[in-house]
Amino acid sequence: MKKNIKNNQEITRKEALKKIGDYGKYTALTALGTYILLHPKKAQADSPEDPGTDF
Amino acid sequence: MKKEILFRDIDKKSIVWFENSNQYIVLEKKAAQILKELHVGIPINDIAQNLVSELDVPIKNIERFISDLEKNILLPNTNQGVVKQKEYTNLTPPAKFEFSKYYDINGIVFKIDFSNELELSLVHPKFAHLEVLQQEKFDHYYQVFNDDSSTFLYADKVFIGAWSYNEIHYFQGKLSMQIVQSLHQKPEKDWLGVFHASAVSDGTNGMLFLGDSGNGKSTSLALLQANGFHCIADDFVPVSAMTQDIFSFPAAISIKKNSLDVLLPLYPELKSSAEYHFTRLNKIVRFLPPKNDKAINQVPCIGFVFIKYDKNIEFEITKISNIDAFENLIPDSWLSPIIENVDAFLNWYSDIPCYKITYSNNDKMISEVSKLFTDVI
Repeated sequence: MKKNIKNNQEITRKEALKKIGDYGKYTALTALGTYILLHPKKAQADSPEDPGTDF
Repeated sequence: MKKEILFRDIDKKSIVWFENSNQYIVLEKKAAQILKELHVGIPINDIAQNLVSELDVPIKNIERFISDLEKNILLPNTNQGVVKQKEYTNLTPPAKFEFSKYYDINGIVFKIDFSNELELSLVHPKFAHLEVLQQEKFDHYYQVFNDDSSTFLYADKVFIGAWSYNEIHYFQGKLSMQIVQSLHQKPEKDWLGVFHASAVSDGTNGMLFLGDSGNGKSTSLALLQANGFHCIADDFVPVSAMTQDIFSFPAAISIKKNSLDVLLPLYPELKSSAEYHFTRLNKIVRFLPPKNDKAINQVPCIGFVFIKYDKNIEFEITKISNIDAFENLIPDSWLSPIIENVDAFLNWYSDIPCYKITYSNNDKMISEVSKLFTDVI
């Protein structure tokens, strides 16, 4: 790839990280239980737009 | 019947998909492995026993963790709940419609009847550039009408669905999907998904440009199609399950008022085109016909580009991980819930490079996107 392409960098919107639980001093378990839940749209959708009035 | 789970490692994480809920979870590979073992019925204490030395944690704590994983992730996504479908009274289409429109899309004629102006306004602006005079013969006939609370859609005399006003974008999406299915002669089960993106092609390959509303996605597309690129689809991008190609969908590009200054020199016709006020979203738009001179029907996808206009940054391109991109892609997409299609989606997606472009210099953006098409291959 071209040199102006940098390494990995975070992109903007992210779902909140969720935790299965807090395992106190056992941080390995807390880390292992961190996940992100993602829901695709329930059906095909256009961008939400209302029709307004002035057309 | 036991519902399935799919597991896929991408970058340093695992993606798990649950058939029952059509949900995706991104988690650590080790946690995904535990889920896999739980799912095939391995007892919790056996799984825990194998993890004691690796994790250096007392077995009772590991067992509690695995039990939590089962309770919080596995069971909610694998227990079949009863999904209540909203029932509609047997509402047949009215005998008369206020508006009848005819659209010629790639030689296929659609007649769409609308019972009032509101429904017309939900559909027509995006297809006005394809409108033709009344035809005696048409290939597909859609009917759109409402009762007090819902908008109904019939396609070729078959009831497709009904939506309340706050779900009206799902009505628009379903109508778009009907057109896509008729246009490309593929039923819904043959589609991998529909992406909320702009699909751009150099004539041979395609890329999906993604970004939150207001990030300049459609403006970028308009700039690119004025500079030799082709618009395959905007806002509603269907991808087939069998070949994983991007397919064309020729709805018009919605151009926000604040992009007009940039685009008017390239598209003088925008000056006189109708302006639509979307009051609820506080946005004013005009519609620009997509440019697809070669009538490209389908192209392979060679990249995902998250694009953003930022007046403080001249141009920046960053390669991003597929997992980071995944977290942004999924909530904005409709993905087929059919397991074979999900499997095809995960295989396809994991091999496609993802980028982030931030720019304010239009010429630079156009030249770098051209390079990207060449470099990725």
